[in-house]
Amino acid sequence: MKIHFEYILLCFLVLGAISCKTEQKAQVSQGYLRMIGDILPDTSLDDPEFLTCNGDDRVIQYFNTLEGFRYTGEKSSFVAEIKKFYKPIENAEGQSGYLRIRFIVNCKGETGRFRVLSSDLNYQEKEFDSAIVNQLLEVVKSLNGWQPLSHEGKPLDYYQYVIFKIEKGNISEILP
Amino acid sequence: MKHLFILLFPFITHGSYASPNCEAYKLYGEMSKYEACKRAEESFKYYQFTREYQEILDDALEIDSTYAYAYQAKGYAYLKSGDFLTWEKLMGKAVELEPASYLGYRGWCRYQFFRDYKGAIEDIERLESLVNGDIGFGQNGDYHLKIALALCYKALGNKTKAIEIIESQLAKEDHFIGLYDYLHLGILYLETNQFEKAMEAFEFQEKENTLAENEFYWALTWKEKGDYEKYSQHLEKSLSLYEKGRHMFDPYTHQMDRIFLSDIEAERNND
Repeated sequence: MKIHFEYILLCFLVLGAISCKTEQKAQVSQGYLRMIGDILPDTSLDDPEFLTCNGDDRVIQYFNTLEGFRYTGEKSSFVAEIKKFYKPIENAEGQSGYLRIRFIVNCKGETGRFRVLSSDLNYQEKEFDSAIVNQLLEVVKSLNGWQPLSHEGKPLDYYQYVIFKIEKGNISEILP
Repeated sequence: MKHLFILLFPFITHGSYASPNCEAYKLYGEMSKYEACKRAEESFKYYQFTREYQEILDDALEIDSTYAYAYQAKGYAYLKSGDFLTWEKLMGKAVELEPASYLGYRGWCRYQFFRDYKGAIEDIERLESLVNGDIGFGQNGDYHLKIALALCYKALGNKTKAIEIIESQLAKEDHFIGLYDYLHLGILYLETNQFEKAMEAFEFQEKENTLAENEFYWALTWKEKGDYEKYSQHLEKSLSLYEKGRHMFDPYTHQMDRIFLSDIEAERNND
């Protein structure tokens, strides 16, 4: 039933994308953005050349089309690319927890607006060694297999995330 | 009947985790919860990620901060966007207020979304200690919580315990067979060199819900037994099913023991 609701939402957003292209900025009210997790542009962090195709207020979530994770070569290819790139750091005893990198995939399959969130294994906020964070950010930014989503021929922008479960500096799980 | 249950289960579970019946609060004289519940009902008109949805639930919590459902409902969007920090805080409140109602949901999500095996075991086993009888299914209806518990033990390296839990659950007369129960059991048997039992499980899974994964691991079992003809036959069937989309699927995450096309191709190239 929830999945069905996600699909109805997708239809709503696509119709909106067709009829309301003029409104480009995510709306802010009483602390919440348009949607939970919306990522506003930040000139100090983001590539100025990265743009959404349909406007920031039409970006959907990766699961809204019910197609699952859309990466060329599937998750196995994505995981292989990360594992090939990532080198565990030395003295990583305290480097355990979760690290999420969330970003937008636009309708051309380009990525931008990367943001990092991290915690220990008990979900308490913590920062990882910058050598770990920088490596993961660099590899996620370099991945170019993201497939654009579409609905009835209309290309869509979407939010995607990758969570790394890290134990003593080693990646033990890559999600979703 | 069991198959019918599988079809209906996503709707049943949604209902079971939905907002409690507001009238029940009224009946028991819990008027602030009744008011909070009535306000929360208005959130159903909105998508879980929207500002409106969140604000209505904030209103509900302002009316009664002990209304546990509102914390869980606020958490859906955080869970699905991978914001483990906010989600865990919200679910912590829900579980603190009504552990028997929310431990199963949190345990399932900890396993499926974050591969937090220890946290999931803690929640599911605590739930077992609190309720009499069946502890129910995970949120999407694909797995009984006992099967999820077993998979957490497997992930932590305790395959013997995982097998014991699954065997014991499947032996129950009232167990409704999940989409992947016998597949996971078969793989556990394969991984512990119990090849005859593995093949029995794969045969059962094929009858219940034929999948590329089932044929793939079945092929690997024949390979272990040295029968390369049957190994090849099952591998080709796995490929055929995969190409038809008959593999494990979840729109939000990937399940344990999921295979990909590259796994089948790698195996075929080594054939």
